[in-house]
Amino acid sequence: MKTNRLSIGLLILTALLCGFPSLLPAAALKRIVIGHPEALSGQYAKAGEQAIGGIQAAVEWVNTVHGGVRIEGRQIPLDYKFYDCESRKESVTSLLERLITSDKVHFTMAPYSSGLTLAGAPVTEKYGMIYLNHGGASDKIFEQGFEYIVQTIGPGSQYHAGTLEMIRHLDPKAKRLALAYEDSEFARSVMDGAEAKAKQLGFQIVFKRTYPQAVADLTPLLSDLKASNPEIVLGGGHFQDGQLLNKQLADLKINVKLLSLIAAATLPAFGNALGPLAEGVMGPSHWEYGVTFSPEAAQKNELPWIGPEQDEFVNLFKKATGQELIPDYHAAEAAAAVLALVAAVEKAGSVDSDLVRKAFGELEFMSFYGTWKIDATGKQVGHDMVDVQWQQGERKIVWPLATKTADVVYPKPRFK
Amino acid sequence: MIFEQLSGNLLQGVILGGVYGMATMGLSLIFGVLKVVNVGHGAFIMVGAYVALTLFQTFGVAPPLAVPAAMVIGMALGMVFYYSAIRKLLKGPELASLLATFSCGVILEEVCKQLFTSEARGYNWELGKLDLGFTVLPHAKLLAFGGSALIGILLYLWFHKTRAGMAMRCVVESDEGARVCGIDVDWEYALSFSIGIGLTVVSGVLLTMFIPVGINPYMGGSYTLKAFVIAVLGGLASPYGAFFGGLVFGLIENGSYTLFAQIPGLEPFAMTRFFSFAMLLVILLLRPTGLLKAK
Repeated sequence: MKTNRLSIGLLILTALLCGFPSLLPAAALKRIVIGHPEALSGQYAKAGEQAIGGIQAAVEWVNTVHGGVRIEGRQIPLDYKFYDCESRKESVTSLLERLITSDKVHFTMAPYSSGLTLAGAPVTEKYGMIYLNHGGASDKIFEQGFEYIVQTIGPGSQYHAGTLEMIRHLDPKAKRLALAYEDSEFARSVMDGAEAKAKQLGFQIVFKRTYPQAVADLTPLLSDLKASNPEIVLGGGHFQDGQLLNKQLADLKINVKLLSLIAAATLPAFGNALGPLAEGVMGPSHWEYGVTFSPEAAQKNELPWIGPEQDEFVNLFKKATGQELIPDYHAAEAAAAVLALVAAVEKAGSVDSDLVRKAFGELEFMSFYGTWKIDATGKQVGHDMVDVQWQQGERKIVWPLATKTADVVYPKPRFK
Repeated sequence: MIFEQLSGNLLQGVILGGVYGMATMGLSLIFGVLKVVNVGHGAFIMVGAYVALTLFQTFGVAPPLAVPAAMVIGMALGMVFYYSAIRKLLKGPELASLLATFSCGVILEEVCKQLFTSEARGYNWELGKLDLGFTVLPHAKLLAFGGSALIGILLYLWFHKTRAGMAMRCVVESDEGARVCGIDVDWEYALSFSIGIGLTVVSGVLLTMFIPVGINPYMGGSYTLKAFVIAVLGGLASPYGAFFGGLVFGLIENGSYTLFAQIPGLEPFAMTRFFSFAMLLVILLLRPTGLLKAK
């Protein structure tokens, strides 16, 4: 009878260990696997491709330069497995189930965008699995009581904080502010944050309206916006809509002192598509090529440095993607999420989700992406954003003053 | 101020509606002749957008001059998809052709992604603007509207004044009757599908003259949805009715925005979509064949 109970107990234990590899002792680990449902098709495909390139670059650095993930004196290779979630929420949930239960990954990574990240969180919570959030900025994600989500991208509510401070610095009299943005989790979070900050800085919100996702024409909304006579316009949502908003503001000759668009304006495609119409348009960015974070800067700030330096990362990214391409911030933030994971696992000395999550909470470091620190909910609070502006066909960092690569052009050139 | 806004929005709505109507003619033609619902419709619009973009960026061809190339490419694509997939499924259950057109759309999206990447692209073709005081109309938009109206008229003339067009109308009336009269019905099916796809690809060119940004492999989805609404408004099987359906749709979408914007607490843009589809439902219930009778 006793033997039977022991056998059943052993069977259950084996099943548990096979089903949840994070329960395995470190000595039994042959490799550590990150599982990722990412958008390779559908509306977020471009950001998804960038994120995968960034992660592959970081994994390559961890395995070849860092020598693997260091646990209990062993150096364990890091592995990465991803599937195309087609930018669809239902695919995110089913792929996460597959990665956790069938592929038996140790950690999971969220897909790009707040909506998709939010969709996958209940699944990873159910399995008590770390869920690295590289591209879901909405603050709402962290108001649901999730315990295993860890953010690297900055929270949406902070996107325009620097932009508004910059305007106050340049033009203390500017007052009339309009918000025109996509009806999405991410954009709502950004604009609610911008509204709160704007009121705090004495701006008057003269227009606040949303437009649906996948919108084809914004003319009615922009005619409405024009009637409110704004000085500043903050808006956008993702990529296509940001280009459309800029183009149709130009079509209707709606001229403002400053136009800042989230997501779209920080990508090279924006300038390529709009040409001279992009001149002077701004956007908040999590990372830009040219931002100088270095081991020396980390030392100065008494923070540990983790990962490759900027140019080393760019070379790894080019090798991973096979393209002569400067990565954008989607790649950088995804790579930084991997570096944070490696630091947390090494700190915890284990791949156990609870121990790693605790280690994440105690982690503070600098990488090529900037500083990294989360609060108790897993929300990123250590990372500062920069503001970029299109000037003569190139993106220039114009704010904060300490990191600028060019002076801001204010007011922006008029649409003719 | 509200009347100024309303006038501006209605005028913009008519112009955009004309282009939407043009974008729906192909869908209606294919449904009218073959009784096939082209669920992959938006993907063919996307192909047209890439034709305009590529010709403009690579060879400096002005977008209106890309129309003949788009028609040829579209008709060739139509022939390929008809003879490789649609033809075999015409006598099968409706779901089979529905899935086949859906598959055609997905194939096109993924091929374009491989060719052009998933980056949102655009081009900048400035022709100047007409400032009316209450609204501003870029000349490119006016040209797109004029092109759409012209194509609508040409299609009407082709259907009513040419033997080929009349043969196609015979097939719409009765394929059995057409066979008795010696018309090669299979060829008419192939030609209709091919012209329908050609028109759709052309509409992609015209749409980029209206909105020359955000061109990406997955841009077609929202146009497919709009095209179904417009097709119903215009009379499901009437290609030139679709043009008027587009005008009505543009007016509803833009006009209702201004009115909903007057109600505090409402998000007018979300309401325009609700209103458009509510109208679609009502029209389907009252007149299942659409507002304009198919001819």
